[in-house]
Amino acid sequence: MIVRAGRPSLHAVALAGIAVLLLAAAAALPLDGPPLSLFFCPFRAATGLPCPGCGCTHAFHFAVRGQLATAFWCSPLGTLLALACAAHVLWTALRIAGLPYAPDLQLTRRTRWAAAATLAASWLFVALRNGP
Amino acid sequence: MLEGAVLARCPSCRNTFSTDRAGHQLCPVCGKALVVPEPAPAPPGAPEADLLEGPGTPWERRAELGFWRGWAQTVQLALLEPGKLFASVRLDKGPAQLGFAVFNISVSWALGHVLEALLLQGQRERLRAILGTLSQNPDLAPALQRMIQAQMEASSPGWVIALALLTPGVALVFLYLNAAVTHAVAALMGQAKRGFAATFAACAYACAPLVLLAVPACGSIVGIIWVIVLTSIGLKITHRISTGAAAAAVLAPYFVLCCVMFLAMGSLMMALRSAAPGAQGLP
Repeated sequence: MIVRAGRPSLHAVALAGIAVLLLAAAAALPLDGPPLSLFFCPFRAATGLPCPGCGCTHAFHFAVRGQLATAFWCSPLGTLLALACAAHVLWTALRIAGLPYAPDLQLTRRTRWAAAATLAASWLFVALRNGP
Repeated sequence: MLEGAVLARCPSCRNTFSTDRAGHQLCPVCGKALVVPEPAPAPPGAPEADLLEGPGTPWERRAELGFWRGWAQTVQLALLEPGKLFASVRLDKGPAQLGFAVFNISVSWALGHVLEALLLQGQRERLRAILGTLSQNPDLAPALQRMIQAQMEASSPGWVIALALLTPGVALVFLYLNAAVTHAVAALMGQAKRGFAATFAACAYACAPLVLLAVPACGSIVGIIWVIVLTSIGLKITHRISTGAAAAAVLAPYFVLCCVMFLAMGSLMMALRSAAPGAQGLP
């Protein structure tokens, strides 16, 4: 839901700044070179299963390059986070420029269950994709 | 049930008394029946008045107390009486809370680095010699050699100054990422009852134990564990939620953080092990 609002708060601006940093890092850092190439998931190393965050780095990498299908294949959760970062940056910039509206997210029980189900579905997707 | 104790006046004996519940009850002074009304609900669209009514922490009142006194009293309250500190937080003072956390972390880190350089000079030289030997090992991957070289350069005075200048930015990013993940988990559990500002205030003042970064060697470990405990206490008070819910919301991001740290350390260890001479021949 969209409601009338004034200038963005300090928190909104700071979070937008951090989102810009994340997106810029995803655009600048190569996947096959250090530091990203040195990382591995300890959860996967210990259990053989991906963790909920597995594939997010790849998803961000492809999402900032506009390859959303590849990003989604790497991690649906990572793609959603990358899109949420981009949306927050864009909306905050528009609000700084004078747009008098802001999203008003009502976290009802249904919304929370939907978010939890999305998280679980993303995890399952990544686990099955990497399965035998 | 009221959110906290309120003062009520008996219509019969005119004495005031403290009670933590609304409705029918007996006056503790004269024993006559009376009714304590429920507090009036805030009008829709109006800012939550109780968010702005707190007296403010000493840091938020540093204009009247003085900068150093405000900082010292806030750290003291956070370490010794966290309940009192978080109960006095004003949620409209986000910039002040951000300033407290960034100032606290930056100054403590810089002080800790200087003290460590002075007190642990011998160990540092020994480590430098080991890293120097390792970086010349031809079996070591070039990327790892670059990492070791960077680690050695990072202890030079120029790098220390550069890192000290970068620390406020890193502290800001750490604080917001921590608050965002904590808030997301709390929201998913239906426990983010008073918005992001409440989570942020809890996370910001919970950084007070990071003054221990100034203590060389063990200070950072103790400080980080204390931060986790304080964040939990802060979340419980600022959002008015149960201890279990606050602990779950707080521990989830640290679980992720542990994974990332594990990831970095594990990668380095495996790279070092694979580069060690004779490692392949071990049974």
